[in-house]
Amino acid sequence: MMVVVGPVREDPNKLAMKVFMKALEILGGPRKLIEYRRLTWLPSLMTACYAVVLKEFYHKTTDDIARELGISEGTVRNIMASDEEAVMKKIKGELTEEEFKTHVAGGLAKLAWREVKRRVDEHTAFIESSREALEAVEGPMWAVRTLMAIKGTDFPIERAEALEEKLRGIKAYGFDLGEVARELEYPIRTPAELLRKLSAKLKEKRGA
Amino acid sequence: MSVVERAIETAAKAYLRAPKLFGVPTGIEGLDDMFFTVEVEDGRPVKKPLGGIPYRSVLNLTGVPDTGKSLMVEQFAVTQASLGYPVCFVTVESPANFVAGGLKKRAEAMGIDWEESKERIILVDAASYRELREELPTLLKTLAHVISEYDVKNSVVDSITGLFEAREVMARSIVREVFNFLKKWGQTAILISQKRSAHGAETAEAAGGYAVSHILDGTIVLNKELITTRWQEQLYGSPIGGVVRTIRIDGCRMTGHDTSTHLLYITELGLVKVGPSLEELRRRMRGGGE
Repeated sequence: MMVVVGPVREDPNKLAMKVFMKALEILGGPRKLIEYRRLTWLPSLMTACYAVVLKEFYHKTTDDIARELGISEGTVRNIMASDEEAVMKKIKGELTEEEFKTHVAGGLAKLAWREVKRRVDEHTAFIESSREALEAVEGPMWAVRTLMAIKGTDFPIERAEALEEKLRGIKAYGFDLGEVARELEYPIRTPAELLRKLSAKLKEKRGA
Repeated sequence: MSVVERAIETAAKAYLRAPKLFGVPTGIEGLDDMFFTVEVEDGRPVKKPLGGIPYRSVLNLTGVPDTGKSLMVEQFAVTQASLGYPVCFVTVESPANFVAGGLKKRAEAMGIDWEESKERIILVDAASYRELREELPTLLKTLAHVISEYDVKNSVVDSITGLFEAREVMARSIVREVFNFLKKWGQTAILISQKRSAHGAETAEAAGGYAVSHILDGTIVLNKELITTRWQEQLYGSPIGGVVRTIRIDGCRMTGHDTSTHLLYITELGLVKVGPSLEELRRRMRGGGE
């Protein structure tokens, strides 16, 4: 039988949520939102975050985004055309609720996206250079394959389930890393910590 | 270290990470020797055929309909699979079952054991699944899964144009992202891009258009001409009313290559092979006439 593979979905909800949370952090966190009575901003902000993710990560057109989110093309254009730097100044200048227009939410969403992307790029660059270094010194194949398998994974990893699936099938000294992942301690903050914990657990199991 | 710091490195360091240059056989007769390296031996430059497309290159294969693009990538896929190297075949135009049929025919015509090779070709069916065509992150996540799960070294996309159908404004960023992804994952890849018949053979669009050729490592352009004039008849040595196909390497930043235009044949069995260059053809015809 030939192998035919269907889609492994990248869920936009997850990334939009992450950008939204980052935007809240930029605004000063939940407490500040309550203090300044800015809770009514949140729906516009959520929409803007989702639109930015669809544009920047999914390469969707204005038309596609408007249709997918049920907003007008003009709103999408306003979100995308907003000036991030000006938005920061406005936020610092104690903006009133009425002044929080689409373009302000857009600017904030774009700022948050930039920050989230920077973190993702840093993780990817780290995983890449670790993989290259391991390949160069002909390090253990299970470590190389682990780094390849966890690409795109969010750190910190809080639960074993997130790892189990990705590492299933990678063998090291006769053990399946998907199963070994179940026995690790969580959270795992970085790819380096993951390799360290896997290595220690493998050593322990081989000695047992 | 920040991403910016990581992005800066000296040429000396980067060279250490440069992949070794060698050819990856395509199974297309005559094409592999169109790529070459030049080595200095006894103080003199010596041209050496690469024997395939450059390892870890991501190439653009473009042409108007019915020039043999899909046949060529099928030959490449079954050849690599028969040599033991898994291939990821992303089909955007025809559903997977049709592509599987084509691959089987190509293998049989090439005398390759299909039963033995077929498990090393992993089909990603973007023709049947809309989200694979329209959501680039989903396509890349799927490819990452396939590449790591099956230890894939070679990839084929038929066609990259299908990923930005009806949103050509996004073409550049989509191609750039697919290119970066394939480079990062160390793939030797051929991406087909469709050339419209309105694009003249010698224009920038002839090399794929929409910046595909600027981003990728190199471009192979296929062309098809209907012989309607005496001049064409003489040039191609083909009778009026006949169809002639040609191939040329429009550019390849990774290695030296033959820049002349060659005839391209499709055999009755559906195999593509590269024929003589037009210059060589003219020489032969002159020689024959004398």
